[in-house]
Amino acid sequence: MEQRTPTLRSVAWLWFGISTAVLIIGFRQAIFLVPTDAAQGNVGRIFYYHVPIAMLSLIFPYINFAASLFYLYWRRRDPLKALTADALALSTAEVTVVYSSICLLTGMLWGRATWGIWWTWDPRLTSMLLLWLLYVSYLMLRRFSSTGQTQTLAAVLSVFAAVDVPIVYMSIRWWRTQHPAPVFGGGPGSGVDPSMLPAFYWNLAGWTLWGICIVLFRFSLERRRQHAEQEAALQAIEASLEIPQ
Amino acid sequence: MTWHSFFDLSTMPHRHLLFAYLTVWVIQGGYFAWTAWNWVNVRGGRR
Repeated sequence: MEQRTPTLRSVAWLWFGISTAVLIIGFRQAIFLVPTDAAQGNVGRIFYYHVPIAMLSLIFPYINFAASLFYLYWRRRDPLKALTADALALSTAEVTVVYSSICLLTGMLWGRATWGIWWTWDPRLTSMLLLWLLYVSYLMLRRFSSTGQTQTLAAVLSVFAAVDVPIVYMSIRWWRTQHPAPVFGGGPGSGVDPSMLPAFYWNLAGWTLWGICIVLFRFSLERRRQHAEQEAALQAIEASLEIPQ
Repeated sequence: MTWHSFFDLSTMPHRHLLFAYLTVWVIQGGYFAWTAWNWVNVRGGRR
């Protein structure tokens, strides 16, 4: 493990550097190179951050869901593997809250400038807010529960929370209200002008790489915290054995 | 668009474009900084 650490650290720094470089290229594309939207003007450039981040905010919950299922499967069979799955579940839940918060806030700023309103109880907006609330409650449960079964309760909540993800995805296909129709994969008539695609793909790649980077960083932090807890428990046991009877 | 028009706060659409990009950087950067701060302050145990 000690020999692997410098290599892992180098890979982590390389990943961080590549993510940052791709994000800088994406920003340059979105702000300086893409032609101004004829209908919306410059405020339409929010698209290049809002849409990729909204797409990713529906991907991380599935990693959280899979990790939670593995936790539930391993918690009695192999507790050490279960701890690893739990660390991944926690890190993806936090990143889901980060990405969905950004999605909601950038959407509100964009909506106020184009629709004239900050918020409406449209099915897409409401289901996205519900997703955000579900993962915030997941983190609150983990932070404040003192039952001794916190990780199991959180894993079960994660399974229920994952049900909302396909509802968010399908909401603009099932109901046509305030939020625009699907831009990608929406059938005939959907899609964007080809001049918009490079900026979109650079930002999608950038925020994907960055998301993986922060999930792995947070996962490593949680594993470090778990090792520290195990170390403290071992020291307590060793100290109790040294007490003369 | 130029840097000058990116930081142009004269109209509501321009302000909202800038605020949207700032919101993304502040939240992502803040979360990264919080994780890094904890990384420095959590001592690793025996592996």
